Amino acid sequence: MLLDSLVARRLVVLTGKGGVGKSVVGAALALAARARRKRVLLVEVGAALEASRRLGGPPSRGRETEALPGLFTLNLEPQAVMDEYVRHMVKLDLVARRVLASPIYHRFFAAAPGLKELMVLGKIMVLEEARRRLSREPLWDLIVVDAPATGHGLAYLKVPLAASLAVPVGPIGHNARRILTLLRDRERTALVVVAAPEEMAVVEAVELYRAAESGVGIEPSAVVLNGCHERRFSDEDEAEVLRLATSGATGDLEPGVPLAAAVRAARRQIRRRKLTRFYRDRLKRSLGSPLVSLPFLFRETLGLAELGTLADALESA
Amino acid sequence: MAPRRSPAATLGKALAEKRVLVTCGSGGVGKTTTAAALAVRAALRGRRVLVCTIDPSRRLATSLGKGQLSGRPRAIELKGLSPARGGTLHAMMLDVKGTFDALVTRHTQDAEARDRILKNRFYQHVSAALAGSHEYMAMEKLFELAQDERFELVVLDTPPTRHALDFLEAPDRLLAFLDVGVLRFFLRPYFVAGRLTVKVATRTGAALLKIADRFMGLQFLQELSEFFLAFEGMYDGFRKRAAEVHALLRAESTGFVLVAGPQPQALEEALFFHHRLVEKRMSFVAFLVNRVHTDPARERGARRGGRAVMAPELGALLTTTLREQQVLARVERRAVARLEVDTRERPVLVPELEQDVHDLRGLAAFAELVFEGAPERARAAEATP
Repeated sequence: MLLDSLVARRLVVLTGKGGVGKSVVGAALALAARARRKRVLLVEVGAALEASRRLGGPPSRGRETEALPGLFTLNLEPQAVMDEYVRHMVKLDLVARRVLASPIYHRFFAAAPGLKELMVLGKIMVLEEARRRLSREPLWDLIVVDAPATGHGLAYLKVPLAASLAVPVGPIGHNARRILTLLRDRERTALVVVAAPEEMAVVEAVELYRAAESGVGIEPSAVVLNGCHERRFSDEDEAEVLRLATSGATGDLEPGVPLAAAVRAARRQIRRRKLTRFYRDRLKRSLGSPLVSLPFLFRETLGLAELGTLADALESA
Repeated sequence: MAPRRSPAATLGKALAEKRVLVTCGSGGVGKTTTAAALAVRAALRGRRVLVCTIDPSRRLATSLGKGQLSGRPRAIELKGLSPARGGTLHAMMLDVKGTFDALVTRHTQDAEARDRILKNRFYQHVSAALAGSHEYMAMEKLFELAQDERFELVVLDTPPTRHALDFLEAPDRLLAFLDVGVLRFFLRPYFVAGRLTVKVATRTGAALLKIADRFMGLQFLQELSEFFLAFEGMYDGFRKRAAEVHALLRAESTGFVLVAGPQPQALEEALFFHHRLVEKRMSFVAFLVNRVHTDPARERGARRGGRAVMAPELGALLTTTLREQQVLARVERRAVARLEVDTRERPVLVPELEQDVHDLRGLAAFAELVFEGAPERARAAEATP
């Protein structure tokens, strides 16, 4: 159900505190959309090539790279996006190269506040608008954007608004407004807040959610609670685990599996699943959007198989 | 060679002696909690401590059990935690706009010059709303706080890694920017006449201007140029301050604590950060790895021997549960071992807590775990039936 509403859009932007697994959720979402025969582009901001690595595809070095049939990854490095823009503006190759080599250009780009964010969002807008030459069909059915960790709250999403206020006229203001329109358009764009069942992550998710609504005018479409621990033991079994923990458990369940250790592990599992429930309830109470839970995966690595598991969970949510 | 101090002891020494401690790390690794816990610890041991976050998301307030923090240091009550004599704790959150305004006020000659900047539209929207100004202003504030006689130790919490790097480089970048006078170079002659009239000497310069015009528009350039012209008289003050911050970050009295999670990826980032610190000749204090998952079978009290009697279904569930957690513990152990090999530093390992930390008492308990390891009582509770 949630997936229905997300794949009906053109753009899904993921946001959330660092460490909650945004990029994993993004990759899983891209896989789930692909399973529905969508042509998907998964965009990561910055040099991190995590998505392609997890999906097993070749690293995308600033170009749309096919990780799986119908699923492409792209990493957007602000500097590279800006360079591309310069080459586009200055048709003369020699002059363009001189500009790109100029220290003034680099220092300006490094220091100008908000420019990086605006360039990246502008590029995403261009990707959304890209059409096939003959059919005029959109080039991408769905673009999933893994926005950078929100160390500065909604820094990224606030830039278009700030820029459009700071310079109402001229190309910057114009483009900032177009970006803002795209982000605010619930038909085309879904903002998804990713959280984890932990105090700080939940506090921040609620804050982000409200700041997006009131500060930027973007109403989030969903909350994904990643890394959930679900009930494993029945009430009677939980009681038995607690009894064993206090009455002393000796012996092995099987060779190499001491009962006392297994009971300790079970107590942790019970504590975590209670915490999951507690934070899930709190998010549901505080926020209006649908909430989807993804399981915590105890794996050595998070590769294609594990992402597939999460994609299935998104599909059946 | 003298035996090396344990990492916790190194951290404890820094906490007792340094003037500034900066906690850095990627998001979601308990950086803010760590900063707050270290500050509480130092205060309880008798130092006058200020903990400051540049994170606008109020996490520090949450962990200190306060509803809100402002741009001014606010005293945190330590009653009930029996602090040593003289120990006090203050907390604050960076107010970017306020700091910027104060900076402008300090560096401008008169009220007219000041207002010209404060009322500039570009300034009003850019100074607070955009990323980047956070780092500049954090540095500014840190410098000011480091001079503040009320505090013996300033613990600074920073935004996630990539931003934290920006943060370290902010003063250098500002210096580089001011050194070339980038904007003066191509904005000033351009706008003295208010129109695009100037002939630029080089083709590169002309192309730069063209890009700036096409991309940003005349209006923007005009605002920007007014903004920078208004800053004209402040450049020297800025340059001096940036150089001072640069020196402060490299001072012996400043130290960096790298906070990480135990996952391979989080530790990779910590490693990267360590390289950068060493490269920049900044003083590394310790790695602190939070929320380490231990293997229940390796803990004390996992008594063996004989076959346990158990309903088979429950037995199978219990076995699965233990094996899962062992996988997690193994992955983390390997990642930590790699970090040790690569950096020749032993990290402080903090096991996952029974409860999330969100009050002072929790912070003090967290610090105890960092410095004394799991308290004997809790260990005993785990170990004995």
